[in-house]
Amino acid sequence: MREIVFWISGTALAFFITAGAFLFLANLANAPSDKSLTPDPSPRESGPDLTLSLDEDRLASLRPLPSQGLDLVVKNEYSKQLSDVNVTLDVSSENTALPDSRFYRQTVEKLPPGGTATVHFVFDLSALEQPVARPPAAVPEPSRKILEVRATTPSGVSAVRTAILPP
Amino acid sequence: MLSRTALLLIAAFLVAGCAHSDREISIAPLAPAADRVDPGLGPGTRALSSGPGYKGSPSWSPGGDRIAFTIDGYVVDKPAGSGDLRRWTTRDFVAEDTEWISDDTLTMLDAAQRSSSGAEEISSSVYRARAGEGSMELEEVAKGVLAMSPGREGLMVVLANGAYESGLVLTRGSGEVYRLYTHPIQGRVTALSPSPDGNEVVLAVRHQGDIETSDLHVFDLRKGKGREIARLDSNPEILGTPQWTKQGIYFVAGKEPPAEGGGSEPLYDLYRVSPDGGAPESAPGVGEDFVAASIRVSPDGRRLAIIGRLNPKAPANLYVLDLLAKSLKSVTTNEDMEIKTGPDDLAWSPGGKSVVIVARGTPSTEPEVRAEPADRILRDFYNLYEVPVGGSMQ
Repeated sequence: MREIVFWISGTALAFFITAGAFLFLANLANAPSDKSLTPDPSPRESGPDLTLSLDEDRLASLRPLPSQGLDLVVKNEYSKQLSDVNVTLDVSSENTALPDSRFYRQTVEKLPPGGTATVHFVFDLSALEQPVARPPAAVPEPSRKILEVRATTPSGVSAVRTAILPP
Repeated sequence: MLSRTALLLIAAFLVAGCAHSDREISIAPLAPAADRVDPGLGPGTRALSSGPGYKGSPSWSPGGDRIAFTIDGYVVDKPAGSGDLRRWTTRDFVAEDTEWISDDTLTMLDAAQRSSSGAEEISSSVYRARAGEGSMELEEVAKGVLAMSPGREGLMVVLANGAYESGLVLTRGSGEVYRLYTHPIQGRVTALSPSPDGNEVVLAVRHQGDIETSDLHVFDLRKGKGREIARLDSNPEILGTPQWTKQGIYFVAGKEPPAEGGGSEPLYDLYRVSPDGGAPESAPGVGEDFVAASIRVSPDGRRLAIIGRLNPKAPANLYVLDLLAKSLKSVTTNEDMEIKTGPDDLAWSPGGKSVVIVARGTPSTEPEVRAEPADRILRDFYNLYEVPVGGSMQ
């Protein structure tokens, strides 16, 4: 009986040692050559530390005229005070053939944790000048105005909102 | 003792074999903003552009690694994968069509201007530009151009010979004219495209008179002679470019004359006619109520990409018609996107596995606020989408 158990155990041991050796060799040959990829960090456009909000009712009442006003609310969601928050407003047209946009900037000097600041912009929303007459085939429909608002701190915390105004 | 050892060994091997491997799994990088696609254009669809601008006339480079298109009239191209836009013309240039002649040369047809009275349309010019020349200066290849199309050896150009006659010219990639056909084409050619073997072209011709009519002509490039194959007296207009396939010539034309007073939008049907001539028939396989807008034949000549509607009230979608099987496949199931229906607003990839269309979400009448920069927004502006259509259905 002991002999039978001995032979069975020996055979099983030899089998597993051989199988293990083959498995080891196979793993050596197939060592993972691909690197683990970390997801591309998207540009920190709208982090949780800083939020921007626009008054949508006021947006609806804007007219394509000079001296339009808009309030933006910047909120510090970070646990520490933020300093020198640059708030910019870029007024452009959907028609990218128009060369210029209008750019406005203000700075919020200090924004305590959980605090908000209202930034008031007065800007020109009248039609951007077309340098040369273009056939209607280029853009056969009226272009919308685009207001792109960014709030950025020197440490790189930022938020962005883009408003698209119907013609 | 021995049997216990053996059992332990067996258990150890089993545990080791079933244990979770430490091998790391690759995680695909996050898709950049321009690759996020709104639903409705089908799985696998990817955006090729983003941001504001009225985009159109997509055109793949012969190698398929770049795509050119117009934005608000000026011409740009970009890599088919990710990469920056490259501008080919100044912003005051207005192109109506762009075609690649080689992987580094683009030709552009500028938009026709109208005379100061606004009544007479003055014909366009064809310009040529090469990549990497550092400036956006264009070389004028031909003036007085009515239409252009890539041909077997270069660009085929139709010139206006007076108000009621057209003439065909073949140019090489360098812009040099190597064949000027003296056989005139009666009428003004509005579009042309080559036959599958490249030896002939089909021309859409417009006749001005008391009643405007449209014809289809076939022109033999070897013999230098053309002939009319179909006259469309009751159909007011051929829309876009007829497509010469292995199953005949397909074209889009008015289904019925527009209602008097212009109360309703004219409807267009897809027709087929034999290159030998005869009466055009409604294209088999698309259905009676189908409204076609723009068509392009696949590189293998066996399929037709169509932007159209299953009926006049249905949303526009991209369809692929298997010409031999006469079966229409809906590629997109769009409900709330506006797919552009201009004659040049779709393009097959050189391998015939995808079609580029131009689409946007339905514009809102109220201000919309998005939490991303303008140049990364997709849905609010016309952008280019590459829609996979699979290989040949044959």
